[in-house]
Amino acid sequence: MLAEQVINGLVLGSMYALIAIGYSLVFGVLDKLTFAHSEIFMFGGYVGVLTVALGVPIWWAIPLAIVVAGIQGLITELVSFRKFNTPDGHITAALSSFAAGIVLIDVTQKFWGSDPKDLGIPNTIYTASTELFGLQIVYIKLAILIVTLLIMIALQILIARTRMGRNIRAVAESSTTASLLGIDVKRVTQQTFFIASALAGIAGLMLAMRGGFADPNVGLSFGLKALAIMAIGGMGDVRGAMIGGILIGVLEGLAFQYGLGKLSEVLVWVLMIVVLLVRPNGLFGRSVNRELRA
Amino acid sequence: MSEPVLAVEALHVAYGPIKAVRGCTLRLDAGETVAVVGANGAGKTTLLRALSNLLPHESGSVRYLGAPTERAGPHELARRGLFHIPEGRGTLGRLEVRENLRIAYDVRPADRSFEAALERVFERFPRLRERHDQLAGTLSGGEQQMLALARALINPPRVLLVDEPSLGLAPALVEEAFAVLGEFHAEGIAILLVEQNVYSALRLAQRGYVLRQGEIVMEGPSAKLLADAEMLKHYLG
Ligand SMILES: Nc1ncnc2c1ncn2[C@@H]1O[C@H](COP(=O)(O)OP(=O)(O)O)[C@@H](O)[C@H]1O
Ligand SMILES: [Mg+2]
Repeated sequence: MLAEQVINGLVLGSMYALIAIGYSLVFGVLDKLTFAHSEIFMFGGYVGVLTVALGVPIWWAIPLAIVVAGIQGLITELVSFRKFNTPDGHITAALSSFAAGIVLIDVTQKFWGSDPKDLGIPNTIYTASTELFGLQIVYIKLAILIVTLLIMIALQILIARTRMGRNIRAVAESSTTASLLGIDVKRVTQQTFFIASALAGIAGLMLAMRGGFADPNVGLSFGLKALAIMAIGGMGDVRGAMIGGILIGVLEGLAFQYGLGKLSEVLVWVLMIVVLLVRPNGLFGRSVNRELRA
Repeated sequence: MSEPVLAVEALHVAYGPIKAVRGCTLRLDAGETVAVVGANGAGKTTLLRALSNLLPHESGSVRYLGAPTERAGPHELARRGLFHIPEGRGTLGRLEVRENLRIAYDVRPADRSFEAALERVFERFPRLRERHDQLAGTLSGGEQQMLALARALINPPRVLLVDEPSLGLAPALVEEAFAVLGEFHAEGIAILLVEQNVYSALRLAQRGYVLRQGEIVMEGPSAKLLADAEMLKHYLG
């Protein structure tokens, strides 16, 4: 049914958006891509597995995912970015973070195997539903949409209205100028990695909760797609990542609805190629501002 | 004699094989305005960037308020009151004018509230009041220079390093910028002013250094340097 596919698309798009925002935040601040990001997202699902194993209530997985993913982000920053802060460090940092991501996959598979791992939660958690306006609404999907919405509102406030957000934007524009104005660039970079990674961790957890299992392969499929979405939305543009994520999710849902099946997976990559050809800075890219300043 | 607020000894700075600053020794006393003049490429910007630790020092020592600065990051020096207005003004163009000022205000604990500090700045720079909620990148060159100076005014530093405030400005605006520096001086801020605009800089400063190819080749009271027009021309040529 069309409306249901739109909802599925929104749910999918929420997760894309959360991951893409992280790529975008890091790119904005460092002008560098972190390829460990998609695996930090992947590991979010295993935080769900861990939470169940710990025997604590399942909602504990949310704060746990924030902390675990956040720390993974801090480690990534330390080992794959801190030292490579010269202009020619881009490729080194990209390679190093890519390796860090692969290590995370391997460690995950060592502990939980290379096949998807059942969360071991009652399946009512991800199947329970209600009828609303003649639509069958699965609670967990509704929860994902609400959590995502809350996170996006909080993030907007953080970036636009708080001192931390102002500092992040200042460093994103010029780390040199920011440091001359007393901003501790290293600390801002760490904060950015923590926030970006926490968002990815939550997205990974939500994906696992929706399906009832964690999958060690979602980083390379699902997670990398979010990188394309960031490029479509505009490199380093948080709003572009939000809108791009939702847009792609819904488009995929619709493509699926109209019988494109597996082909809908390739949509995002084709779209990325086309958008980059027409607008190299992405749909919401910064070129507009650059023109304004000139 | 009391210790200078900024004391530089035999400072060497290099970009790889390019030696841009070669053994500079200079000092800035409390409340003093000192000009460092030199032709394009003399090493003025490099010197200032090294003083605020944006660049590593090959050798030599820098002491700020009596303490060596070698281990401090640029942000720590800024927090300790060594404020550097960089070449090109360092406008954060994607932030609002007011946000630019807020960041500068937050650099260290201030003795008045942000609103009060902002009011004082807007009284001095009414143009910025009109434009407070615009992106700073939309300001004209002259307005951006005012913003750069206003960021120093909003939470006055001990020492101000200024890199070519006259760069790219019309003469009337250059005069305006130098007038503001004069007011900072009157408030007791020590200023190290780097300029190609030799005569304006030396008229403002009490003392000056002439930099050529990374070396200080002349120094003395401004009046004396200005009187030696032949030599000045020779070194700046
Ligand atoms: N980033 C850099 N890399 C290599 N050489 C540089 C760099 N910046 C400046 N230089 C060189 O260092 C010397 C001094 O430059 P600079 O300090 O900018 O001089 P000034 O500010 O007096 O015009 C020049 O020869 C310049 O070419
Ligand atoms: Mg210069």
